Amino acid sequence: MDIRKVASLLGATAILVAACGGGTATTAPAASVPAASVPAASAPAGSVAATDCTVGVSWNNFQQPRWAAHDQPNIKSTVEAGGGKYIDKDANLSNEQQLTDVDTLISQGAKVLILLAQDNKAILPALQKAKDAGIPVIAYDRLIEDPSILYITFDNVLVGKAEAAAVLAKVPEGNYVLIKGDPGDPNAATFLPQGWDEAGLKTAVDGGKIKILNGPDGTFTDAWKTEKAQQNMEAIIDKAVADGNKIDAILAENDSTALGVVAALTAKNYGFPPLSGQDGDPANLNNVALGKQYVDVFKNANELGKAAGAAALALCANPDMASLTLPDGLMDPTVAPSAGLAAKAFTTPNGTSVQSFILQPTPLTAENLQTAIDAKQITKEDLCKGVDAATAPAACK
Amino acid sequence: MTNVADATPVSGQVQPPARTSIRGLIGQTEIDLRLFGMLVALAAILLVFHVLSGGKLIQPANMVTMSVQASGIAIIATGMVLVIVSRNIDLSVGSLVGFIAMSYALLMTDWFPRVFGLAPATPFEWVLAVAIGVAIGAAFGGLQGFLIAYVGIPSFIVTLGGLLSIRGLVWYLSQGAAVSGIDPTFVLIGGSAQGSVGGELTWALAAVGCIAIVGLLVSGRRQRRRFGFPVRPMWAEVLLSVIGCLAVLGIAAFANANYWPKGLTDRYALEHGITQPPGGLHISTGLPFPILLLICVTLVMTWLSTRRRFGRYVYAYGGNPDAAELAGINTRWTILKTYVLMGILCAIAAAIAAARLNGSTLDIGTNYELYVIAAAVVGGTSFAGGIGSIPGAVVGAFVMASLNYGLSFIGVNSPGQNVVNGIVLILAVGFDTINRRRGS
Repeated sequence: MDIRKVASLLGATAILVAACGGGTATTAPAASVPAASVPAASAPAGSVAATDCTVGVSWNNFQQPRWAAHDQPNIKSTVEAGGGKYIDKDANLSNEQQLTDVDTLISQGAKVLILLAQDNKAILPALQKAKDAGIPVIAYDRLIEDPSILYITFDNVLVGKAEAAAVLAKVPEGNYVLIKGDPGDPNAATFLPQGWDEAGLKTAVDGGKIKILNGPDGTFTDAWKTEKAQQNMEAIIDKAVADGNKIDAILAENDSTALGVVAALTAKNYGFPPLSGQDGDPANLNNVALGKQYVDVFKNANELGKAAGAAALALCANPDMASLTLPDGLMDPTVAPSAGLAAKAFTTPNGTSVQSFILQPTPLTAENLQTAIDAKQITKEDLCKGVDAATAPAACK
Repeated sequence: MTNVADATPVSGQVQPPARTSIRGLIGQTEIDLRLFGMLVALAAILLVFHVLSGGKLIQPANMVTMSVQASGIAIIATGMVLVIVSRNIDLSVGSLVGFIAMSYALLMTDWFPRVFGLAPATPFEWVLAVAIGVAIGAAFGGLQGFLIAYVGIPSFIVTLGGLLSIRGLVWYLSQGAAVSGIDPTFVLIGGSAQGSVGGELTWALAAVGCIAIVGLLVSGRRQRRRFGFPVRPMWAEVLLSVIGCLAVLGIAAFANANYWPKGLTDRYALEHGITQPPGGLHISTGLPFPILLLICVTLVMTWLSTRRRFGRYVYAYGGNPDAAELAGINTRWTILKTYVLMGILCAIAAAIAAARLNGSTLDIGTNYELYVIAAAVVGGTSFAGGIGSIPGAVVGAFVMASLNYGLSFIGVNSPGQNVVNGIVLILAVGFDTINRRRGS
């Protein structure tokens, strides 16, 4: 994937090189470290300064598989390919450990810090130390409330929008069921439904095209529990059958609830109306391949890692965050910030204005499941488990 | 030993009457009024929701769904009765269910093929998986029981530790991922239309149940005669037989009035070359496997608690620990066994949960401990120890499930469900406390 993307940028020569897996001395590095060649080529200032650019990363909990599998290797390879040095520390869920880690990273010569904060308040003393030392800080995936940081994350409202847009395109009118997450989580109660409405759900409901079978607000799922979603969905199906209604589509806010919905549909032999989800969980991606879930909105952590690595290199060269740009062609264009590759101001929930790169999530359907394999989110074997060869999506052929 | 038997409650329907006079049983029919009252309460709850839903709730399909949802909690609640009767508690059941469910899923998707080299969906691999699950449950239960009974750490603390640490172990098993796509035969334990025994077998089982009820009543009467205990008047025996048989046959008829969903029937007809009659083919689902499992577990547990020495010991210890100890009962061994039993019941409930989900997630079984304890307590189990009935706990589980299902059905959201559950729990125990006080 990476090789192909860069190849298209560098032209026919690079394609040849990539295809042969070797080549002349001058072009070989471009093919073997594709992500690197781009920041170096398009941001020459960065590549010069990068010779002594040490990027320090403080993880809050490296035990969680996502960071080790996707974020860390991409940050590391992007930094190293740009001529920088990568160092990191894991706080193992401890706020105190994270403060010590940041000290250590600074004393080891970090010129830029990437922080995945265990707690966005407890991290503030560490942030102060970095500021005192004149080190720019990137808040990675998790916001730190301070005007001096650069915030790199995915757009959570867009996740809801992508879920509803995909399902609405498939089923523009009919009976919908809304399965929401924990009622105490603002994502479940506010942000994701906001995205659904932005995609046109509210208009369709108001216009009488879509009828919501389970009340105007849908059904919440305590603690996003799969079992609870399953029980709720079973009652909703029973009710729909008793009322003589047909369920045409289901919007589930995330993958754990979508998994429960699929279990309920299976137990009831109801068939599988278009169903949404998010997170790109392997079990759900398998369901997408099996035709049991229509869309799974996926936040590609690899791309987030690349963006952070490139931003760190650029900050080494020029610490002015407002004039920061990401190199073109580094990230998958479908993921790159919709606002463009220049840093944009972002207003935090507390009203602080910070510079930011807000990436777009990727809706995965049967058509583009290959993306999940390329992103190493899932192996082809797991994705295609139990898939009938005759009806298999392209990624399983 | 009369004291022991005194505290042993017995339901009047499925099992034979006890040999001695029994507290809480009034009148010549010796019907357990508490249990009867709870069945009435359950019926009342269902009727209220039936009216609120515009007359749509009480239908075979809906009642089967509700019963399947209740089955896991009810199965564990039968064991929780014995644990609470012996003045202990088990908070770890939810986490243990989660751990075993994840083990089932991983065994059949990953470990069997990778470690044992079994092909996917090897016949009877699910039996091996269930055996391993039961062993895991018994081992965890035994360990906790040992710490409680022999080391003397309070059960609340040991099982609270279990609640936290076993849930953590679930994470390590799967590295945080949901697992899906398990053995297709195992999935039938979850009880969809295919996971049911079918119409004919349901009738056959009902007939067997009916004969068993009459047989037990007859043999009970004969036994009482033999040992010179007072017997019920003849009219009461006949009434009990008729009510018991009608109940069993009624449940069978109701379960059989639940038909395969249309999509499945169409597919089945197509695959088997059956021409559907006008109006469609109706295939009875009959009793789903989780319900069948629940019935078996209830019968075995009732038998264990009322007919076996183990059960007598549990109630004796719960009624008066010192007296039980002085009477020469190996109380520690008895307590340990209640926890082993809990572990095994968790394995059964985990099989249903994993099968229903066709896999496992990290959160399977979360909050089970609360629902199970609620079911036992609503079903008349007393925290003071020594008092509690297994059929009561099963009805208690159905009361809790009927509330959840009914509220979902009429579209009340989860915060509302929690509020109602909490209030009903307090009301049920409140009424019971007042009744007992008045009775004594």
